[in-house]
Amino acid sequence: MNGRTKSWDIWLTLGRWLIVGLTIVAVPQLLPGQESLSTPQSKVERKNKAPVSREILRVKLPKPVEAKLKNGLTVLILEDHRAPFVNVQLHIGGAGALFEPAGMAGLASATAHMLREGSQTRTSIQIAEEIDRLGAALSAGASFGSPDAVLSASGLSDNFDQWFGVATDVLLHPSFPVEELEKMKQRQRVQLREQRSAPGFLLDERFHRAVYGEHPAANVAPTLTSLDALSQAALIQWHRERYAPQDAILGIAGDVHAKDLIAKLEKQLAGWKKTEVTETWPRNPTAATERKVFLVDRPNSVQTTLALGNIAIDRRNPDYPSMVVMNHVIGGGASSRLFLNLREEKGYTYGVYSDFSALRYPGPWRAGGNLRTEVTQGALVEFFNEIRRIQDEKVPAAELEASKRSIVASFALSLEQPTRVLGFAITRKLYDLPADYWDTYPAKIMAVSADDVQRIARKYLKPNGLQVVAVGDADKIKAILEQYGKVEVFDANGAPLPGAAKP
Amino acid sequence: MKFSSIDFHFSWSRRNRWRTRHFWAAGIGGAFICTMLAPRYVDPAQNKNANPGNAPAKPSQAAETDRSAISPQEKKSYEIAFKEFRLQNGLRVLLAEDHSAPTYSISVAYNVGSRDERPGRTGFAHLFEHMLFQGSANVGKGEHFILIQNNGGSANGTTNMDRTNYFETLPANQLELGIFLEADRMRAPAITQANFDNQRLTVQEERRQSYDNRPYGKTYEAVIDLAYDNFAYKHSTIGSMDDLNAATIEDAELFFRSYYAPNNAVVALVGDFKTDVALRLVKKYFENIAPQESPKAPDMTEPEQKGERRKVIEDSFARTPRLDIVYKIPPGNTADWYALDVLGYVLSNGVSSRLYQKFVKEKELALRVEADASELRGPSLFWFSIMARPTTDLGALETLLYDEIARLQKEPIADWELAKVQMQLRRQRAQQIYSSRSRANSLGHFAVFYNDPGLINSIWSRYEQITKADLQRVAQTYFRESNRTVVTTLPKSAAGEGGKSQ
Repeated sequence: MNGRTKSWDIWLTLGRWLIVGLTIVAVPQLLPGQESLSTPQSKVERKNKAPVSREILRVKLPKPVEAKLKNGLTVLILEDHRAPFVNVQLHIGGAGALFEPAGMAGLASATAHMLREGSQTRTSIQIAEEIDRLGAALSAGASFGSPDAVLSASGLSDNFDQWFGVATDVLLHPSFPVEELEKMKQRQRVQLREQRSAPGFLLDERFHRAVYGEHPAANVAPTLTSLDALSQAALIQWHRERYAPQDAILGIAGDVHAKDLIAKLEKQLAGWKKTEVTETWPRNPTAATERKVFLVDRPNSVQTTLALGNIAIDRRNPDYPSMVVMNHVIGGGASSRLFLNLREEKGYTYGVYSDFSALRYPGPWRAGGNLRTEVTQGALVEFFNEIRRIQDEKVPAAELEASKRSIVASFALSLEQPTRVLGFAITRKLYDLPADYWDTYPAKIMAVSADDVQRIARKYLKPNGLQVVAVGDADKIKAILEQYGKVEVFDANGAPLPGAAKP
Repeated sequence: MKFSSIDFHFSWSRRNRWRTRHFWAAGIGGAFICTMLAPRYVDPAQNKNANPGNAPAKPSQAAETDRSAISPQEKKSYEIAFKEFRLQNGLRVLLAEDHSAPTYSISVAYNVGSRDERPGRTGFAHLFEHMLFQGSANVGKGEHFILIQNNGGSANGTTNMDRTNYFETLPANQLELGIFLEADRMRAPAITQANFDNQRLTVQEERRQSYDNRPYGKTYEAVIDLAYDNFAYKHSTIGSMDDLNAATIEDAELFFRSYYAPNNAVVALVGDFKTDVALRLVKKYFENIAPQESPKAPDMTEPEQKGERRKVIEDSFARTPRLDIVYKIPPGNTADWYALDVLGYVLSNGVSSRLYQKFVKEKELALRVEADASELRGPSLFWFSIMARPTTDLGALETLLYDEIARLQKEPIADWELAKVQMQLRRQRAQQIYSSRSRANSLGHFAVFYNDPGLINSIWSRYEQITKADLQRVAQTYFRESNRTVVTTLPKSAAGEGGKSQ
């Protein structure tokens, strides 16, 4: 029902940015009547008294049935009959925003969104009513930086044929009505304005520009100008050329019978023909070698929203398992170093985390969070301390083992959700990973050594290459940021502000 | 889903009562719930807010009753079977064995929320929830999450107006760990001044992140403050900075003694275990925790509202106006509440819903619109929230909404609209099968709110009984001008962000 849940599944599948908690540091505020010197410190402590099974529950992920249709479409079907429910995800390679022509930012996303707004036999409202009356959900999107457009649909299994029929109709026969396109563009224009009120958007916008440079993933939103350029003809052409079965993966999980369904799909999707288009991949982004500091001035902010990071690895990089472990140690959750230091000991933040994005091209590792303005300086110090510590000191054996255990043991939880299991299989296909990839993945994680973690941290987290982005009240934090490099300042509309930074 | 999946990167929908609410998502509803951790990969908790079933758990001499909550003829694939027990100390235990995945969830719901707070101590129930992650007799500060995560699990805690819950999901071989952790903190949390000060700071950052530093962050508190007269629901769960600063560990000790007793809690386990094994472990760790005198239920009396209330607030982050209109309605799990909830679906669930079509698509006056019955144990609110477009005439927008309300009062909705809602509810029912956490939290919710965990199955028939005449009647009964509160949030142009004030 909720688009949000679905998009999470997609993000998990792609190993894409989830929601990155942000981080910040501060000098502890004195509370009324509190003496700073006498304040006992709040320290993390392990008593090791809890009854823990030392075994790691090893699970084998069920493998979906795999087929290739005559038109080249890859189909993955995971039968799961726990609930009378079915989830569908179609990843259409080549139809994502990564390949948008210059000046047409938003074309891929608009094409995907407009699928619901009319087909050759259904109007926008007919599609909406039909989907809602069936208790189904249907949406399509193409996120910035992604090579794929993704169509998602879900609903009850007893009316699967009906809602899946609507989904295939809008996929294969969209009409892109001009009136609906104009309405959608107008909604997007307002949204462009509205999202600038959120610190998270401002952070993403600046951070992506900082790390991706000329790469198209530097974009996180269309512009008013690029929206103006989106015409019905452009969408029709994009759909005709880019929505091709040979580069697409159709994943279905839930209460279906794989064999019957594959036969049915062969018929139902027979009209979806191969195309000849070939993608020109943009040149990979590369890690910055010089630290830069960016500040987005958001007056009245009571927190600084912070991110530090740099381009690291792509999904097929052999460093991937070591990167997973390294990231887990430093910022992967509520038991990681950043969280324990900045929240549990210093009380600077509601939560600080790190994450990384590894796609078909190298993406950034980044750490960050929201920290009250007054502790911006202290937070930055601690971020850099933790980044240095993981490079300078070998991870202690117990901490390393705990992290690896955490990663491997958590696979059991994914078995609750068929979409998660399907997501693993889709990931394998999207990145062309070996057939036994997930079977051998736990062993690869367990093989990561303290040397590997240190090597990875030194390779990808070089303090001098980190891009530092802060969103907050410039009057209060600009001077602090200047300690880390020359500061480029922008306003909340994304425009550079004059008033050069001190060198 | 609604509009959110169509045009927006994030959703602010509150519609997903049966799944999860994200307090951090922008928008009205978010504000109902505070959590220990901001959700990232996994959801905080599925949440239910609502009403007074509040049967004080009586420590019974009859050690345990075992009753299956399922009626045999209703045994569909989405029926959730569970067994219920009561320990000597009054702890209610709900066990739903399910071997479909090698995992389980434990959820402990305490019958205490921000409605139990006193003036001067707003935010305390939630601050206290944070303290239960700060260690206990056999668990160090920070060790709770370390133990959970290092064993592949996930955990969180949430507080809302009416209850507080704590939950873990773990691989099935760590059954004892989750039970041990929950019992240890129910028995003997370690509350030190240093840790209390630390979590006070953390919670204040949570407040800044979720309210003070975000657009429309002041709106929710303005609405409940204006709409309610009774302090219980008039203040927010996150609380004020001043009150958080004033809280002491003496308050915490008193709070713990009053509310964190086994006879004021419900433990629910769902997943891959043998019921007898789980029950043995629950007894082993929980049964020796002493019961306390049952806390007094707060006075939830809300005087009848005698006239419309209006307020305009300025927001220095907002860039477009927002209109919030609420009507007071009965508590959750009442016949009228279910009818009002269905009205919410008709009005704003899905792209074909009335308000989305009218305000967003046809008239192009709004970017988003939401209509939803909040589910509280006491007097609830039916909440309309409309994110206007920057140039929209707010007066005309409001009038148009009242026209839509008048339509609901004058004519029955179409048959297909009611049938649609029933399908959407069937969908939700099917989806709740997957997550052991959502089932465990639901059991705790229904037990604490309504003293009826069986509602996890029987609630659907309550919805099925709703008729078109019910919808028309509740629209007439509750959507009255004198029962209305209107809060307009305007961009404060002084912020220099180009916001347009009216």
